[in-house]
Amino acid sequence: MGWGRISDGDNLFRHCIHPNSFRGRSFLPEKFIYIKAAPDRSLHASLVWERFVPTTGLLHDSGCRLALHMNQGAQAGGKYEEENKKIYCGAYQLQANTIRALTGIEGLEEVASADVVHSIEGEEFAHADLRIVLKSGKTPNIEGTKTAIVTYLWAAYRGPLKHVCDCDKDAKEHPSSALGVPPRGRYSDTRSSIFRAWSIVRYHICFWIWRKLSRSGG
Amino acid sequence: MFKLPNRTYLQPIVVLATSELHGIGGLDGVRTHLAGNLITRVDSTLPGPDPQVVSSTQVLRTTFSSIPVVWQSELAEDYQELGEALGQMTELDEESEWRIDPAVCATACFIATGLMINSYPAPRIFAHGPESVVFNWSGGADDLYLTISANKVSALISSPERIKRRVEFAAVDVLDPGVLFPSIQSADPERSITSRLNGAIPDLYELLF
Repeated sequence: MGWGRISDGDNLFRHCIHPNSFRGRSFLPEKFIYIKAAPDRSLHASLVWERFVPTTGLLHDSGCRLALHMNQGAQAGGKYEEENKKIYCGAYQLQANTIRALTGIEGLEEVASADVVHSIEGEEFAHADLRIVLKSGKTPNIEGTKTAIVTYLWAAYRGPLKHVCDCDKDAKEHPSSALGVPPRGRYSDTRSSIFRAWSIVRYHICFWIWRKLSRSGG
Repeated sequence: MFKLPNRTYLQPIVVLATSELHGIGGLDGVRTHLAGNLITRVDSTLPGPDPQVVSSTQVLRTTFSSIPVVWQSELAEDYQELGEALGQMTELDEESEWRIDPAVCATACFIATGLMINSYPAPRIFAHGPESVVFNWSGGADDLYLTISANKVSALISSPERIKRRVEFAAVDVLDPGVLFPSIQSADPERSITSRLNGAIPDLYELLF
């Protein structure tokens, strides 16, 4: 279920979780996003849409919830280990048009289409799905395609927006300090204060409607 | 006054994540290629029987004659860590983003052996799913990635600006980096950045390392 098309100029964010995106204490840029191949050989990854996390606080809240859910899932499955506790470290930003530009990039001719769509996941109202469809018969090694896409996306990101969740404040060496700066540099919010205020109002209205509909089974 | 050794023996090794050499699917050609070299265990603490020692003289004569002992020792240490890391990645939980299939690990270890024998620096590694592991070297503005599946290898050279080159290989064709890297350089020359990637291995080596 989606609440509108994500415009080309809209911002998306990718949460960064320790230890998924790290090797030991070192941040690995190529691991900041995890691309999964579906049985139909389409590729998918999770992002969040700024429209429904219009403030840095809301963005980080969703990141902390993500890490918490991962830890709760591991605990429920009896696989939780304190040393592998998921820790939210921050987020990186990119624009939707960067994803859509994957179609037609030199060196990635096997990409038939690339898009990002709003796709609420569980309680995560801002979740967006990055979807890449590959041309049939033109992808000799889908794993190599993943590597090429990951390196392209890393070069398109800005950030990081570092964060320490309340539940991780006691950590001696929080891994967010190791997050790297992408080639495009750091992210700064260039939205005007008026647009930002409007975005917050719009978010609260949409979120309220969504909760109402969810509770009524709509 | 101590006496300097007048003769030094170098120990060629194969990077093994495990002592188990059997049951490696799809790599008969690689095994055949290695049959003339010395195969030994990197980690003596690993369980299981010692691998077969075949012959080392050919390797010593043709490969290691000009490589300093200290450098080779450091290199072996780096590759030992690499082999151990690859082995650990096969034992991770199925839901881990870092887990790789044993067949991928086996291919990666064989390729790592070829890299080490040719004295290439140990790569960084990462995975994006159980079906491959990625070897990565960074040098200046460019990065080299080898995405290793059980039977295929994809080479990628990229810069922050663009993808410069991608080449696909069968795993059995890339055991010898002396063949691999020139192949990456020579593939599809009309799309290449000819001014930087033309030439023999040392050019690419200098570019990346």
